[in-house]
Amino acid sequence: MWYQVKGNQNDVVVSSRVRLARNLAGFPFDGKLTEKDANAVIGKIETALAGKNYTKTDMTTLSPVAAESLVEKHLVSREFAGKKGPHALFVNEGKSIYLMACEEDHIRLQCILPGLALTDALRLALECDDQLGTLDIAFDEKLGYLTHCPTNLGTGMRASVMLFLPALTAGGAIPPLARQLAKIGLTLRGLFGEGSESRGCLYQVSNQVSLGVSEEEILSRLQKAVENIVARERELESAPKGEDAVRQSDRFARAEGTLRYAQLLSSEELFELFTDIKQGVTSGKIKGITHEKLLTLLIEAMPATLTENAPEKPKTALERDGARARFIKQALEV
Amino acid sequence: MKCQNCKNKEATFFYEENINGKKKSVSLCADCAAKLHMTEKFEMPALASPFSVFGNDLGNFFDGFFSLSPHVAAPKGKVCPGCGATFEDIAASGKACCPQCYTTFADELLPSLRSLHGDVQHKGRVPLVDRAAKEKENKLASLRENLKNAIESEDFESAAKLRDEIRALEKEEDK
Repeated sequence: MWYQVKGNQNDVVVSSRVRLARNLAGFPFDGKLTEKDANAVIGKIETALAGKNYTKTDMTTLSPVAAESLVEKHLVSREFAGKKGPHALFVNEGKSIYLMACEEDHIRLQCILPGLALTDALRLALECDDQLGTLDIAFDEKLGYLTHCPTNLGTGMRASVMLFLPALTAGGAIPPLARQLAKIGLTLRGLFGEGSESRGCLYQVSNQVSLGVSEEEILSRLQKAVENIVARERELESAPKGEDAVRQSDRFARAEGTLRYAQLLSSEELFELFTDIKQGVTSGKIKGITHEKLLTLLIEAMPATLTENAPEKPKTALERDGARARFIKQALEV
Repeated sequence: MKCQNCKNKEATFFYEENINGKKKSVSLCADCAAKLHMTEKFEMPALASPFSVFGNDLGNFFDGFFSLSPHVAAPKGKVCPGCGATFEDIAASGKACCPQCYTTFADELLPSLRSLHGDVQHKGRVPLVDRAAKEKENKLASLRENLKNAIESEDFESAAKLRDEIRALEKEEDK
């Protein structure tokens, strides 16, 4: 899985993702797409990808927990996981491409990679796009790729980066940053929770405009902005001195202690610990845990994935919190 | 209260909108309100901001201004041949119903697309099939240019070769 691998600059940049929206000419969009049409669309995609080492999953046969787990791993959209009617997922051999068939658009293909890796994510996504070359894709010279929602016209591309920004969050710098980014056509939003404050200090920056700009231009604008944000975050997170340093060390040690020895852990508490531990790992004060290990713990301890992987399925919230604590304890002992 | 747009002058224009529970509020000075055609909003009939829903998921303050493109309405009875959708259908959902909707309602959609994206001329990649055609087109153009140059410089040997190449490529195109 992408999150288990060490990524470039992964103290701040958690992941890079490129998503392309495509539709088949001659078929209506979601909403007007009949079940028969949807199956035909899936069939055409399957034919186009035949012999190219993709595995197809009929999403309608998946349990809600298994579908939700894919959302928690950032592999499919929440809308897709909860969708009614025929929809299927195609995953390539290297598990770098997740192609959602019959999402909001007929095709939503995405590549997610750990750390700052936008160029690679774009390259892989475009390779998959070319593999669909035999399909009659809805395209207009002026408007580009035709999509269900006009916000995706043009390249049909959404490039995004997940960022861990504890120092900027603590400094109250997120709202002004969001306003600055909006001016250059980028959107910043909290990844978990509502509003601009985000649980776990995790944020997503993505392009807002997709028409009139090429894929490379979108990418380079985002890349530059991200490099800038990373630099500002690092500047702010400089090591404290004197008493503050003692307090910080104590906070990190307590967080690590809880993570390692708690017998009950809620998702909320894990998010709080995540922030402290990740900072502790960055500062070098917490040893034996890497950024990718911590991310793996955070993702695999989310409710659906935890339930999916647990030897005995937890039934109550208490059982789930117990299972979460046991899972983390075990994962850290390895 | 300062104007949210210029952040300089005092706001005298206040606007609140509540669409399906999604609330937005705007406070502007008179100049910015006029500049952003904010006042026109009140001259429109009740259903006159068909595209205000388009940008809601972007969570941006300026999305609200998307509804400010000059009011458009499609001629009565105009229906998309691809899916049977009317312009009202698209306006209500904020989304096209099939790829052909974009050609059918091109004139009606253009102002809103411009507000949304700024530029409405696609740049960037084209589908693989079209890409091959485009490359061929470019190659033919360059060969023709070379042929012209060869004839002008009386290099008839090269010209003959180029002519054959062009013919071969054109034949391929006709297939």
